Amino acid sequence: MISRQGSHCLILFLLVMSLLMCPARISAKPAPGYLVPGMLECVSISGKPINDLQGNTVGVTIPLKRAGRLFLLEGTIDNMIGNFILDTGASGLVLNQTYFRNAIAVDDEEAGGVTGSTASVERINVKRLLISDLVYTNMPADVTPLGHLENRRGVKILGLFGMSLLKNLEMVIDLRNNELQIFRLDRTGNRLGPPSPVVKYDIIQKIGEFHSIMFVKATIGGKVLDFCLDTGAESNVLSITAHKNVLGTVTITRRSGLNGVGQDRGEVLFGTLNEFSMGNRQMVPMETILCSLTAMSRKYGCPIDGMLGYDFFAKGKIYINLVKKEMGICLKPEENK
Amino acid sequence: MRTWCAWMATFILFISTAAAQVQVDLKKVCHVEDGRLIFTLDLRWSAPQRTEVARLFGLDSALVSDAYALKPVITSNGKVWKTLKIDLHRFELSMEAGKDESREETTEKIFLLDDQWIKRSSIAERESVSYGVNRFTRNILVQSGGRLRFFLPGQKNAKKVFISGSFNAWSTLQTPMQPCDSGWTVSMNLKPGKYSYKFIIDGKWTNDSYNKLRENDTYHGYNNIFFCYNYKFVLSGVPDAHKVLVTGSFNQWNESELRMIRFQGNWVLPLYLREGTHAYKFIVDGTWMTDPANKVTRPDGKGNRNSFMGIGDTLFFTLKGYSNAKKVIVSGNFNAWNQEELAMDKTSDGWQLPYVLAPGNYEYKFIVDGKWITDPSNTYKTGSGNSYLSVKPNYWFRLDQYPDAGKVIVTGSFNNWSTDGSRMEFHQGSWWFPVFLAPGKHTYKFIVDGKWMVDPANNLWENNEYGTNNSVLWIEP
Repeated sequence: MISRQGSHCLILFLLVMSLLMCPARISAKPAPGYLVPGMLECVSISGKPINDLQGNTVGVTIPLKRAGRLFLLEGTIDNMIGNFILDTGASGLVLNQTYFRNAIAVDDEEAGGVTGSTASVERINVKRLLISDLVYTNMPADVTPLGHLENRRGVKILGLFGMSLLKNLEMVIDLRNNELQIFRLDRTGNRLGPPSPVVKYDIIQKIGEFHSIMFVKATIGGKVLDFCLDTGAESNVLSITAHKNVLGTVTITRRSGLNGVGQDRGEVLFGTLNEFSMGNRQMVPMETILCSLTAMSRKYGCPIDGMLGYDFFAKGKIYINLVKKEMGICLKPEENK
Repeated sequence: MRTWCAWMATFILFISTAAAQVQVDLKKVCHVEDGRLIFTLDLRWSAPQRTEVARLFGLDSALVSDAYALKPVITSNGKVWKTLKIDLHRFELSMEAGKDESREETTEKIFLLDDQWIKRSSIAERESVSYGVNRFTRNILVQSGGRLRFFLPGQKNAKKVFISGSFNAWSTLQTPMQPCDSGWTVSMNLKPGKYSYKFIIDGKWTNDSYNKLRENDTYHGYNNIFFCYNYKFVLSGVPDAHKVLVTGSFNQWNESELRMIRFQGNWVLPLYLREGTHAYKFIVDGTWMTDPANKVTRPDGKGNRNSFMGIGDTLFFTLKGYSNAKKVIVSGNFNAWNQEELAMDKTSDGWQLPYVLAPGNYEYKFIVDGKWITDPSNTYKTGSGNSYLSVKPNYWFRLDQYPDAGKVIVTGSFNNWSTDGSRMEFHQGSWWFPVFLAPGKHTYKFIVDGKWMVDPANNLWENNEYGTNNSVLWIEP
């Protein structure tokens, strides 16, 4: 059990001192990587600063909506209101071509986004994206067809809210209350502002990052595997080519028919992860899909053993701190066995 | 010989009984090993057991049949399967399960599961019940016509409060509440019906503690429910009654549910009633009575009469001429094509029938002395040759070009992409088709003399599975 109240007082003290010593910095545009209250810097996929988040709050709670097992948050983009899928499996902001087809492309090279297999992806510049109190300006975005998501889930989807939008922030996904909390962080990754209520996290795990995609290690059948941490996946996914010790622990319960999941994925199986461990803690069995992730690995540029999606995030309250590069899970009582 | 036959019969019976008792352990049917997908099947399984296993694991029936014949190599849907007997009763059916290099795999990363239950449009909810009465414990909802004012008491320390529900497609941004001296308020114009909602207080979903009506939200919580009223039952002349109820076809003649309230010498009950025609009666201190203020009564088939009333606009089916006809009937999909029910009344210049229909799209025909005819005064026809009627259409498809086209069709998700169902009519330089569409997304195309095309006036379109494009249209709740 780890308390994260930690060094908040010290950080607050240092912050106040820095403010007293450098008052001009509040009004000046901060240098990349520098943080002041009321202005939190975001970094684009390419590593260049995008702009600042506005407002003086140190944390914000955003109501999450659900469309099946997708998490939606509502935002305003260039005066258009609509839903965005919270998708940590996407590297940045990805917009639905249906509504942004006429935006002027700034780049037509292959972008960092991975959604959409054969569709062309072009890049545009978004003047202003507002998600609750989070404001992004002059934001690069990939534009790709997402109409199939709308058609399957029956909701208007403007785009995907990907991982680079959460850079330098901490997010807490609480599906029990259908909310997403965003916290400002200092350079060392501690939350700004007054200490938050102490939450005891059952599991703390380091996060790896590659091409703006988060990876986390987990153990199945004695083998350590790399899972992509993906809020946009409606199910966990395990590679069908995993080691036999891994697959030997999975109970396969059914196989996809002609419709639904896996239409274009080759063999798709549904099963149960019986021996999934993270941080030396074995979790209550959870559902998974088994299919080939070869093309996905090729797209990401690194081997992927699986993806942790909805079933994983439903296990409790999960925080992801992208400065400390760590995540924590506060398991639901029924999961805490 | 007879003894031997009896022994054989007993043995066969024993074998067949033993076979029937073999259970299928679904957890052990399928596994993946060394890149192969392997099914462990049992020869003793009954035909229903084999069918169930085949259904669950997506195995073709011909494949299963060949497998049980223990054919060593089977090709099914382009895949090569092998069988291998592993003991007296069991055998393996397997195929290569690793990457198939011959196919282009998708890198589509958002996995979509088949959840049928999530598609619930607000129109479906709004008209999903035939009646409804609110159950607030405090007077926090005030209705005046179609305008409702919601009041959330307290929450004075909150910075932002929204109301989100089926009336705004569960938008978390579109309906902010305004602070007042004792809480938060918002006014909305809504159509009559049932709505579900929650408050969002500083980003947190919050239930209405003053509302007793609630429904499971399928996410381990609940939504509150309210009704926007469109009718008020009033009974006068029984000021000394102790208990008055209203009952009718809308609540299956429930005798104890809808208790009326004494108000200024009358008995009243405001409520929501779905559009259409309703039969009803009052129960005054246990005695059933028709509505003395309503002259429209009809026999109930049991020797009594009920009061009748209609909610919604009355439309008139009219047929000019046919003065010599003896009987003219209106029949359509709104009355399950009943050929007797809706007899038209003879007028000075033809036939007429007043009728109440809820907003929607309908097909109908007239039956003149047993002969089916389309409505000569209605130019809109369906592909099957019926007259087409859209009651309170909320969208008109329009195509401004091709004035010389012979036949223009609009087809889309709203009519299951019927290629002959919705024929547009040419009026004042454009092709038109009125339709009542449910809130949500609709995709469509025009077919002009057999040629498919997206709507040239709509800049919203998306790719479809055929490599072409569909126009996109959103109807707000």
